[in-house]
Amino acid sequence: MFIRSSDQLPSVTALKRFPVPRNFNVSTESRIERGKTWHAPAGATRVKKFEIYRYDPDSGQNPRIDTYEVDLDTCGPMVLDALITIKNEIDSTLTFRRSCREGVCGSCSMNIDGTNWLACTRFISDTAEPATIYPLNHLRVIKDLVPDLTQLFAQYSLIEPWLQTTTPEPEKERLQSPEDRGKVDGFYECILCFCCTSGCPSHWWNGDRFLGPAVLLQSYRWLVDSRDEAAGDRLDDLEDPFRLYRCHTILNCTRTCPKQLNPGKAIAAIKKMIVQRRS
Amino acid sequence: MAHDKRPLSPDIQIYRPQLTSVLSISHRVTGIALSVGALLLVSWLLAAAAGPQAYSSVQGFMRSWLGLLLMFGWTFSLFFHLCNGIRHLVWDAGYGFELGTIYASGWTVVAASTALTVAAWFSSFVVMG
Amino acid sequence: MRSPLGRARGLGSAREGVEHWWMQRVTAAALIPLTLWFVASLIALTGSDYNAFIAWLKAPFVAILMVLLLIALFHHMALGLRVVVEDYVHSDRAKIPTVVAIRLVCFALAVVGIFATLRIAFDG
Repeated sequence: MFIRSSDQLPSVTALKRFPVPRNFNVSTESRIERGKTWHAPAGATRVKKFEIYRYDPDSGQNPRIDTYEVDLDTCGPMVLDALITIKNEIDSTLTFRRSCREGVCGSCSMNIDGTNWLACTRFISDTAEPATIYPLNHLRVIKDLVPDLTQLFAQYSLIEPWLQTTTPEPEKERLQSPEDRGKVDGFYECILCFCCTSGCPSHWWNGDRFLGPAVLLQSYRWLVDSRDEAAGDRLDDLEDPFRLYRCHTILNCTRTCPKQLNPGKAIAAIKKMIVQRRS
Repeated sequence: MAHDKRPLSPDIQIYRPQLTSVLSISHRVTGIALSVGALLLVSWLLAAAAGPQAYSSVQGFMRSWLGLLLMFGWTFSLFFHLCNGIRHLVWDAGYGFELGTIYASGWTVVAASTALTVAAWFSSFVVMG
Repeated sequence: MRSPLGRARGLGSAREGVEHWWMQRVTAAALIPLTLWFVASLIALTGSDYNAFIAWLKAPFVAILMVLLLIALFHHMALGLRVVVEDYVHSDRAKIPTVVAIRLVCFALAVVGIFATLRIAFDG
């Protein structure tokens, strides 16, 4: 009921999903169908069910939900460990992105039990029974749990996430006081997992034009970097009814960030800067 | 193109309702309800300007069970939109973004709007006598 | 067949949008005391008859506050509904006429409400 940090799990579940039909407003090729169940081997004691979204682009069929029964004694503690166990021992066609397995690369972001998180930092014991695993929301699915992030990265490159200066380069480094460097804390740590952006309803409805929390957090990171000299141009590019102002402070982003960052706060600060420069 | 045939991953069909998104959509729904209420406000003023007969027919509707139900819904929408609106203004000033504060202020808004609605209707009955 | 960056950039930044955002907040702030006054007045007026209502609205202070309430309310409403339409309606053919219609209807309703209030205040 009272959540203090995004890694805190809710103690009560009143509603698992919004009261809309399962395939509400979904195009024909996106309709999800029932899939197969893979039962645990005989003799397994601690069995856990995982319901996982599957899509095979080569089969020409619609996406489906497959249920896997995993023996937790053969598997590590994290959801990513379960996915790897399923791929190694049960069904080798299961496809997902992964790399560091310690919550720093952002590859294994997915929707687990209705909220977005990194599979490698989510304990299996903290998931529901059965655990439901979907790819990140409202994105074109390449295969199984692998969404197409091209557009999100294109939006990231749009904000020109590099230092822009007109002052000639100094002989050594550009100096920055500890206080100035501190202003970037809480924003530079973003691993671009896109949990926040794919959990934002405004980005669902207007993702082609709204930049989304991850990209806006990064643009704030550059706005507030004391070495950057292009704040005015950056704000000019952001001040747009869709690029920035589709944010209605829904705050799903702050609720879901697996690195405990605060995109909502950064976006509010950008809006304040825009008001400041015209008063 | 192969890209266009790719399915879209589900969003609202499977995303967990949280205090953040539920209060936000409620703010929008109450806003729309209040917009409809604004139409009624104008028709009420117009009826009053037209004379006692027009006014009493509008009052008669307000006192019917449907009218009272709408008024109750309208007052709750008003108080919720007002309290959550203040919460929005505080965010726009840059404060209250820590997750603990977001949740505490959210529940406060729910409690306050319920309390204010009950208080308003209770006072209304007291005034009526 | 555009590149992803081309699609993301679209037609470029409109370089405006803060005016709408700011006015929404200004009208919201104005509406806080105005709606509280309005609700308190409604409660105090429960059960009163036509003449009592007219006598209340005739008072200059009340009439002025009612006019201010109508202006702030319909401006806030037009801005808010515009955002809702922009969020959910994506075809320009449907969106732009709807947004314009909302603006005009809100303006007209505000004028009607102000006219009714002033009518009561000046002759009643």
